Amino acid sequence: MPKARLFGLTAVSAAAMMAFAISAFAQVKELHVMHAGGQWGDAVAKCVDSDLLKEKGIKVVVETPGGYAKLAAQAKSGAINNVATDGSTSELSRMAAEGLIDEIDWAAIDPKPMFDEAKNKYGFGSSYYSTIMAWRKGVPAPSNWVEFFDTEKFPGKRALPDYPDYVLPFAAMADGMTPEEISKGIDLDRAFKTLKRVKKDSIWWQAGAQPPQLLKDNEAQYAISWSGRVVGQEGVETSFNQGMLDVSWFVVAKGATDEQKKMLYAWFHDQTIPEKQACVAQYISYPGPSPELEKLLPKDKLDQFPTYSENKKVQWLPNGDWWFKNAAEIEKRWNEFKLEQ
Amino acid sequence: MAAVSDVGEVSVSRHQRRWEGFGFLAPLLLFALIVFDVPLLIVVFWSFSDPDTGFPSLGTYAAFVESGSYARIIWRTFLIASEVTIATALIGYPLAYWISRLEQRSQLIAIGLVTMTFWVSILVRTYAWIVMLGNGGILNRWLQSLGIVSRPVEFLYNEGGVAVGMINVLLPFLVLPLYAAMRRVDPRLIHVAETLGASRLQIFWRVFFPLTAAALGASMVLVLILSLGFYITPAILGGGRVPLIANMMDLLINKFARWEMAAVNSVILLVVTLAFYGLYQRLREKAA
Repeated sequence: MPKARLFGLTAVSAAAMMAFAISAFAQVKELHVMHAGGQWGDAVAKCVDSDLLKEKGIKVVVETPGGYAKLAAQAKSGAINNVATDGSTSELSRMAAEGLIDEIDWAAIDPKPMFDEAKNKYGFGSSYYSTIMAWRKGVPAPSNWVEFFDTEKFPGKRALPDYPDYVLPFAAMADGMTPEEISKGIDLDRAFKTLKRVKKDSIWWQAGAQPPQLLKDNEAQYAISWSGRVVGQEGVETSFNQGMLDVSWFVVAKGATDEQKKMLYAWFHDQTIPEKQACVAQYISYPGPSPELEKLLPKDKLDQFPTYSENKKVQWLPNGDWWFKNAAEIEKRWNEFKLEQ
Repeated sequence: MAAVSDVGEVSVSRHQRRWEGFGFLAPLLLFALIVFDVPLLIVVFWSFSDPDTGFPSLGTYAAFVESGSYARIIWRTFLIASEVTIATALIGYPLAYWISRLEQRSQLIAIGLVTMTFWVSILVRTYAWIVMLGNGGILNRWLQSLGIVSRPVEFLYNEGGVAVGMINVLLPFLVLPLYAAMRRVDPRLIHVAETLGASRLQIFWRVFFPLTAAALGASMVLVLILSLGFYITPAILGGGRVPLIANMMDLLINKFARWEMAAVNSVILLVVTLAFYGLYQRLREKAA
C-alpha cells in the first residue's frame, strides 16, 4: 500500500527532524522562574534577560504570577518546574518558616554593592515598590488613610487590592491605628470593620494595571495602587504619605539542582548592576537596591521613586514575622469576608 | 433442530459483532480513563484527606458545613446560573424562531452573525462590556445626553452586569441547536393544523412549541451547566464583588493553597450537578 508507506515515511522523518531541532535548542540553557510580570516584568526582560541570553547563553523563561501558593503547590506535587519566585516580605517569612525555600548563597551571586536591607538569608531583594493612595484629578484629595476611607466627606468608589497584605494595614489605619502600631501588628477587627463599612463603595482589583485604568475610566474615584503604576500618570494624583514601602524578594525553591542555582545566581548578579537597574527604572519606577542608582536616575523624575528621601521618610515597612505568625487566621477571616460579598 | 442451531448461530454472531470493534476502541477508552477519570478520583480522594497529615478524615467536610460561606457561594452561583438560563431562553427562543422563518439567504447571514461571536475572544468580549456599560461608557453617555438620568447608572460591578456578560456569551449555545431543531419541524404539520381551523396562536402553542420543547430543554441544560463554571466574566464584570464558584476555587487553589477545601467544593458541586442532570433525564423520559 504505497500511500500508507509514504505517510509512514513522512511521519518518521518529521519526527526525526523535530528531535534534531529540539536537541539543537538544548544548547541554550533555560532558567524557569515565576514572578509578577506586568510592566516590571517586561522591563526586566528588556534590560536584563536579553543580555543574559547573549552573554551567558541562559534563557529566562518566566511564568506569571508567582507567589506563595504556587510555590507551595509545586513543592507538594514534587515537580520543581520553577526554580525561583518573587514575593513580598510577609510571603518571604512564610515561605522560609514552612521550609519551602533554600538559603541564598551570597558568595556565589557575588553581587555589586547592595543596600543591606535587601540582603536576606532567604531572599534576594530585587526591587523596592510602594503601595500608596491615588485619586482622580478633580476629586477632594485625602491626606491620610482616615480620610481615604471616609466615604461621606470624600464620596466616590474605592478601588482596593484583592490581597489581604495590601489592604488590611490601610484599613486598620483608617480606624485610627498609627504606622508605629501597625509595625507591631494589625488589629484585624478594626481593619475588617473599615472594609465592611465601605463595602458598597469598593471595587476589588487583582492586576496592577487595573487601578489606574479604573481611575481614568471614572469607575473609581480613589484607589490603593502600586506606586510604579500611578505616579506621573495623567489625570491621576498620588501621595506617598503613610504608604507601605516594601522590597520585592526572590527566593530559591527547595529542591532546585546546583546547575539551576548557578543559572539563577547569574541572573541575580546581573540584576545588581546599577546600569541595568537604571534601565528598568526608565520603564517603571521600581528602583533596584544599588546605592549607586540614584546618581543614574533622571533628576526631574526623582520624586516618583519610593526610595527618594522625601518619600521614604513618610512611609513605613511591613513586619514580615507578624504576617507569617498570623497567616492562618488572616486567611480564614479574609476568606469569610470575601465570600460574604 | 435446524431452527435451533440457526438461532444459536445468529445470536453468536451478533454477540461477536458487538465486541468486534472493541479492540479499536480500547486505546481511546484507556486514554479517557487515565486522563479524565483518574484525576477526578484523585480530587475525590483529596476531599477526604486531612490537610496536614494526608490521612483519611472528614475534617474538611466538617469545615465546609461549619463555615456557611462556601455553601452560600454555591447557592448563589446556581441562582445566577438559573436566571441567566431563563433570560437566555427568553431571548434565544424568539431569535431562533425568527431566523428559522427568514428566507434561505438571510438565514445564512443571520446564523453567520450569531456564530461570529465565537471568533472573538471571550476576554475581549467581556472587556467590551466595560466600554458599553461603564460609568463613562456608551450606554451611560447616551442616557445622560437624552436627559433620562443625571448621574451614571451602575450597570457594572454587580450581579446584573455579570448576568448581561454571561447571557451574551451563552446565547449562541442556545440559539444554534434550537435553530437546527426548528428547521427539522415538518411544515406539513403546520399546514394540517391550518386546514383543521387552528388560529396562529393555537398552532404555535399546540403544535410548534411542543415539537421544539425537547430541544429547548436540552439547550437550557447546556447553558445552565456552562454558566456554573464561568470565571472570567464574574471576575471582570463583578469587580470582586460577585464571587461565583470558579472565583472561589481560584482563591482556594492559587491564593491560599487549600486544595482539600477546593476538592470538597468540587465534589459537592459535582454531586449537585449530577442530581440536576438526573432530574432532567427523568423529566425527559416522562415527556417522551
